[in-house]
Amino acid sequence: MSTQIDPRGPRFGASITATLLAVDVFLSLDHATFAIAHALLGVITVSFLWGALRGPAKHPYGLLFKKLIRPRLEAPKDLEDSAGPQFAQLVGLLVAGTGFVLGIFGIEIGLSIAAAAAFIAAFLNAVFDYCLGCQIYIGLKRVKIIR
Amino acid sequence: MPTEIRLALVIGLVALAGALGAVWRLKTGRAKAIDRGEVIDLPRLQATKDGALVTKFGKRVTFLQFSSETCSTCKQTARLFRELEETADDVLHIEVDITNRLDLAKKFHILQTPTTLVLDHNGRVTSRIGGAPKQSAIEQQLGSFAI
Repeated sequence: MSTQIDPRGPRFGASITATLLAVDVFLSLDHATFAIAHALLGVITVSFLWGALRGPAKHPYGLLFKKLIRPRLEAPKDLEDSAGPQFAQLVGLLVAGTGFVLGIFGIEIGLSIAAAAAFIAAFLNAVFDYCLGCQIYIGLKRVKIIR
Repeated sequence: MPTEIRLALVIGLVALAGALGAVWRLKTGRAKAIDRGEVIDLPRLQATKDGALVTKFGKRVTFLQFSSETCSTCKQTARLFRELEETADDVLHIEVDITNRLDLAKKFHILQTPTTLVLDHNGRVTSRIGGAPKQSAIEQQLGSFAI
């Protein structure tokens, strides 16, 4: 199922996601704009769902990267397996999805915290090349949360 | 919530993420010396290299790298070690995918990948590197095994 991709693609996507999540946190902190924040987090959740199901290469951000950014860059030194970024999208889906559901129940602060947590992960990925698949995958497997 | 406070919170969140990333960058990929490390049991490891079972350690030093399928930095790390191997024939790099070898993950307390164990010519663990090794950490390790 997995394919070899340019590792800068998922980082490009993460920078878009991080920006959207920062805006989302800002909007979620005021009751007047909470509905917009809730809708935006819904969009972000769907985006994560897309990435988790179809992988980063077939994600709109991935296609955008391929069309607009990649032609302007030098060839990458290594390709990476899409399994890592896809796993990170699944983690993002769980966190953002939790925030969205909390929003449905009117737990505004819950949504803010979930969006903030997802922001930190996306920011670390985009800026520091932090890879969730490297950091928590084996740990989760060891405690049998994933198979 | 007033706009100024919301803005301050979001800026604080970005600063927190930046600080977390900086600390992670600083700590990752550094070698930690292991006192009285164990001797690696090659038959139990069942590691293969270029299709053949690994039966001998490097004459000077062996870098035993544990990887996983969702790990994007594992490839870069493997390339780094392979390049090193080409310049020195007494250096051996062994890569083991622990995705389905949780027995090894448990035995060596591996939570993140890549995790690299540095072995002397007898296969005794002398250091451990968590995360993608920094160039300086590899050089320092090579230096400590200088003939």
